[in-house]
Amino acid sequence: MRTAVLLAIAIVMLVVWIFPVAWGLLTSFKTERDVLAYPPEVIFEPTLVNYHDVFFGGASIVPNLISSLIISGLTTALTMLFAIPAAYALARLDLPWKRATGFWVLATQMLPPVGLVIPYFLLLRKVGWTDTYQGLVLVYLTFALPFAIWLLVSYFEEIPREMEEAALLDRAGRLRALWHVILPQAKGGIAVTVIFVFLNSWNEFLFAVVLGGNTVRPVTVAMFNFISLEQTQWGRLAAAAMVGMAPVIALGLLAQQHIVKGLTVGAVKGGGRR
Amino acid sequence: MRERRFALALFLPAFVLLVATTTLPLIYLLWSSSQRIDLTMPWMSGTAGLENYAKLGGDTRFWQSLKLTLIYTGTTVVLQVLIGLGLALLVLQVRAGQAILRIGAILPIVLAPVVAGLFWRSLVLAPDFGILDFVTRALGLGSYNWLGDPQLALVSVIAIHTWQWTPFAFLVLLASLAALPPDLYEAARLDRAGPWQRFRHITLPLIRPAIVIVVILRMVTALSAFAAIFAATGGGPGSATEILNLYAYRLSFTELNIGYGAAVAAVLLLITLSVAFFLFALRRAR
Repeated sequence: MRTAVLLAIAIVMLVVWIFPVAWGLLTSFKTERDVLAYPPEVIFEPTLVNYHDVFFGGASIVPNLISSLIISGLTTALTMLFAIPAAYALARLDLPWKRATGFWVLATQMLPPVGLVIPYFLLLRKVGWTDTYQGLVLVYLTFALPFAIWLLVSYFEEIPREMEEAALLDRAGRLRALWHVILPQAKGGIAVTVIFVFLNSWNEFLFAVVLGGNTVRPVTVAMFNFISLEQTQWGRLAAAAMVGMAPVIALGLLAQQHIVKGLTVGAVKGGGRR
Repeated sequence: MRERRFALALFLPAFVLLVATTTLPLIYLLWSSSQRIDLTMPWMSGTAGLENYAKLGGDTRFWQSLKLTLIYTGTTVVLQVLIGLGLALLVLQVRAGQAILRIGAILPIVLAPVVAGLFWRSLVLAPDFGILDFVTRALGLGSYNWLGDPQLALVSVIAIHTWQWTPFAFLVLLASLAALPPDLYEAARLDRAGPWQRFRHITLPLIRPAIVIVVILRMVTALSAFAAIFAATGGGPGSATEILNLYAYRLSFTELNIGYGAAVAAVLLLITLSVAFFLFALRRAR
């Protein structure tokens, strides 16, 4: 009896979490008439017209998907390039003012984005970088870089020191030790970091809606624009959302085991231990 | 000494980039907040000193917005921790479906907040064809304009945020509960401690660090919430769901009064940083 109640509550919860996405998936296969039907229809004749619209129609989101891919890809690459050495220095080396800089990196991660989007709007306009890839990537670094540094620090700290010391005794040199010993050891952590940085960049909205434009319009903004059309077509919006969110859902499931760590890393490190 | 130089060589590029991309823009934000930058009246531009901040005092929309920020942050964080913890305690006892629940919990978290807002707005909360309206009508409670009525709209955006981020609290607390040593409970059971006593005196003190982490991170997320509300209500109806983020955005990019928007954003920045700092200090003191 008790187990049955517990199970029932767990199932209800699961349904609540999955429902909007599942219903969205269902809606994406409905014609506009079926979407607006009352009572809501669970059984209907499925159609691919929304997906056809989203890929090949007048309001195709393919350019937006490409935009998102370029921005997220560039942001991830640049972030890793700068974050890996910095995280290694924070985790393992004798860095002056380590604690203060560590806390500062963490604080930058907590800034409300609206506080950054205002100065960036003024600054990027001055240099003509609004609605450009370099402009948005630069702004995306503000949340990606501190996040990646902290996540990587926690993975670097897990590597046994002996590994590294053995490499140093070999006179392999610090940089080669980093390249040949640390990086292979932290491969899993680096992969997880790449996934999270990419996911966060893909999902970003505020920077993109203010600082993007007709040339650079990521998929999150394109989806939002579907509702400001004269007559919102919910079926098409649902199809666009399914296509736009498929990559992050796939990545989320891929990184499933690591998601708790990825989400708590900042606080775990910044609060205590040292 | 050689090591220090090596360490700096590795750290400095990221450090310089971070200063350039975050700290300098923030200084520029503070400077902007002391300027009169109104894109609808460019000829009025000039130094304003503390004028923008003085204006905040008599701005009822600002105070309303501050109040909404506190309500939104407070209720969403409390709800997430309570529901997340309750659920984690429950699920710990049903071993069977844990894996599926863990996977299901990831779905809301990885969804872009703007999509969460759009989905709720269209599929769940829309009058007539939304699911919630269908449920309340079927139960004989009638039809409501969930996002059109000021009070219901506030409840709705709080529900959306709680829906999206409770899985986070759940996952973190479940992980921390699962890591507790089982022999502690054996001893307590032998001492005939009841379930509530066991929770109060054994579980709660042990998972307190995890709860504090969840509270800190959830507060920071709530304080920078934007996209889901923007997509669901746009801050409206009127200014019923206009938390400080939305107010600063609307001032700057809808009304184009950027100097004043910058002042509101600066206030929000100050609140976020002091909350984060206070919670971290609290955590370190423990």
